[in-house]
Amino acid sequence: MSVEVQPARPASAPLLAVRELTLRYRRQSPLRGDGPQVTALDNVSLELPAGKTLAVAGPSGCGKSSLARCIVLLEKPDSGQILYGGDDLLTLASRERRRVLREVQLIFQDSAAALNPAFRIEEVLEEPLLIHKSAASAKERREFLHELLRSVELTDKLLARRPLELSGGQRQRVAIARALACRPKILILDEALSALDLSTQGQIANLLLDLRETQNLSYLFITHDLAMAALFADHVAEMAAGRIIRVGPPQKGVTGNLQSGSGALPSPSPSGQTVPVR
Amino acid sequence: MARRTLHGLLLLAGVSLLTFLLLSLAPGNFYDELRLNPQISPDTVAAIKAQYGMDRPLPARYFLWLASMARGQFGYSLEYHQSVSSLLWPRARNTLLLTGLATLLAWMIALPWGTLEALRRGGWIDRAGAALTAALLAIPDVLLGLLLLLLAAKTGWFPAGGMSSLNADQASLPLRVWDAARHLFLPVAALVLGSLPVIVRHTRSAMILALDSPFVQAARAHGIPSARVLWRYAFPAALNSLISLFGFSIGGLLSMSLLIEVILGWPGLGPLVLEAMLARDIYVVMAAVVLSSVFLVGGNLLADLLLYWNDPRIRQVSS
Repeated sequence: MSVEVQPARPASAPLLAVRELTLRYRRQSPLRGDGPQVTALDNVSLELPAGKTLAVAGPSGCGKSSLARCIVLLEKPDSGQILYGGDDLLTLASRERRRVLREVQLIFQDSAAALNPAFRIEEVLEEPLLIHKSAASAKERREFLHELLRSVELTDKLLARRPLELSGGQRQRVAIARALACRPKILILDEALSALDLSTQGQIANLLLDLRETQNLSYLFITHDLAMAALFADHVAEMAAGRIIRVGPPQKGVTGNLQSGSGALPSPSPSGQTVPVR
Repeated sequence: MARRTLHGLLLLAGVSLLTFLLLSLAPGNFYDELRLNPQISPDTVAAIKAQYGMDRPLPARYFLWLASMARGQFGYSLEYHQSVSSLLWPRARNTLLLTGLATLLAWMIALPWGTLEALRRGGWIDRAGAALTAALLAIPDVLLGLLLLLLAAKTGWFPAGGMSSLNADQASLPLRVWDAARHLFLPVAALVLGSLPVIVRHTRSAMILALDSPFVQAARAHGIPSARVLWRYAFPAALNSLISLFGFSIGGLLSMSLLIEVILGWPGLGPLVLEAMLARDIYVVMAAVVLSSVFLVGGNLLADLLLYWNDPRIRQVSS
C-alpha cells in the first residue's frame, strides 16, 4: 500500500489540539422539564503533534469516550475548540468537515456493533472509497481493497463474509482497514483492544505499532490499561471526572489499570495543568 | 417455509373448530324465532332443521362444513338461502378495496412522518406529532366514524353511505371514478386516522433505535453524508420491526374495517357478519372468521418472507 509521508512540521505545531472543551449532558423530561446536568468534559485541553501517540487514560465514566466523540463531531460540545491543522472543526462548513473526518478516524471498542451487520466486508471497506472518491474505477477500488486487507494481515476470502461471521480479532482488523481506507492522519483508538482476548490484543497492538511506522500515523489512544498506554504512548494524559488531572511520560514496567484503581501515573506535573506533548 | 405453512394450516383448522364450537354451544340458534311463531308447529321447525342438516351431531356438522369449504362453498347461509361463498366474495372484495387503499395510504403517510420525528426528536415537529398521535389514539373508532358521518350529514360534501350513487353505472368512466372516490373518502379517512398513530410511533421508535446504533454512529464518524446514512444504514436496520408490523397490517385487511363499515354504511364484510351474528347464521360467521384468519396467517408468512429478503443475518441462520 502506498505510504503518504507527512510533511515535516515544526515541533511546536500540534496536528490536533483541544482547547478548553466542555460537554454537558442534560436529562430532559416532558413533565419535569430540564433535569440535572452531567458534566462529561470540563475544560479539557490537550495537544497531539504529528507522528506521536498520546494516551488518554482514566476509569469508566471519566469522559474519555466523550472526548473522542467530540473530536469526530459525533457530539457537539457546549464550549471550547477542536483545532485540526489550525482550523476549528466546530466552525467548519459541512464539505470541509467531511474532508477533515476523512483524516481523523475513530476505531470503536465493540467492532461487532461498529460494523454494519448487513454489509459484506467488501461493502464495509468500499464505502469510504465511494464517499471520499479515493479510487476512480471499480478495478482501482478492488486493488485497493486487496492492499488494505494485506496491510491488516487478512486475506481476500473475507471480502464475501459479513461481520458477524468473523472473529473478534478479524473484525477489529477490518475496522482498522476501514479507517485506513480513508488515508487518515490520526487514528483515535477508543478502547480498541479492550474487548479482545490477551493473545489477540497483542496481535492487534503489534499491527497498530507497525502501521504507525509504515503510514506515519498519529494515535490518540484511549484506554484504562496503563500497561497498554505505556506500550503505545509518547505521553499519557490521565482523566478523572471529565478533567485532565495529570500529563506525563509513560513509565515502563507499570502494571494495573485505572478501572480497578490499581494503577496510578507517576510524577504529576506541578500545577496539575495540561502540558503539550513533545 | 414448509414448516410455517403447515403451522398456518393447523392454526386455521384450530380457529375454524373453535369458532364452530363457540357458535354451536352458545345459547340460542337460528330457529328460535321460528319457534316463537305460533303458526309454525314444532314438527315443521324440526323438518326445516333436518333439511339443512342442523339436527346432526356437532362433529358430523363440522366435517360436512369442512367438505363444503374444500369445494369452495363455505357452507350454506340459513338467512339468505344460498351458499356462503356467493355472499362472501363480493363483500370481501368491497372490504379489500377499502382496507387495501387505507393501509397503503396509512403507510405512505406514516413512514416519512415517523422518520421525520426521529430525525427531529425533541423538536417542535416531534412534540406536535406526539400530541397529534396521542389524540388520535385516544379517540375510539366508533366516535371517529360517527364524527365523519356527522361531517357528511352536515356539509353534504360526501355521501353518508354506500359504495356508489344511483345510476352511477350509466355515467362515464371519469365520473364513475369520481363517484367511487367520494364514497370511499370517509371510510378510508376513518381507517387511516385510526391506524396512523401506531405506525407513526412504531416508525419513530425503530428509526431512533437504528440512528442511535453504533454502526450508524460509526458511519457518521467516517464522514458519510447524512442522507446516505439514513437510507443505506438506518432505514434498512429499522425495516425489520416495520416489516413485522406490516405483516399485521396485511393480516388485518379483512377485519380492521368491520366496525367502520357498519357505521358508515360501506357494503363490505362488516354489515354481513353483524347481521349473521344477530341472526345466528353460523356458517356465514365461520367463513368470515376463517377468511380473516387466512389473511392473518398469510400476512405473517409474507412478513417472514420479507424479513428473509431484507436481513442477510436471517438468511444465514436459515441456511
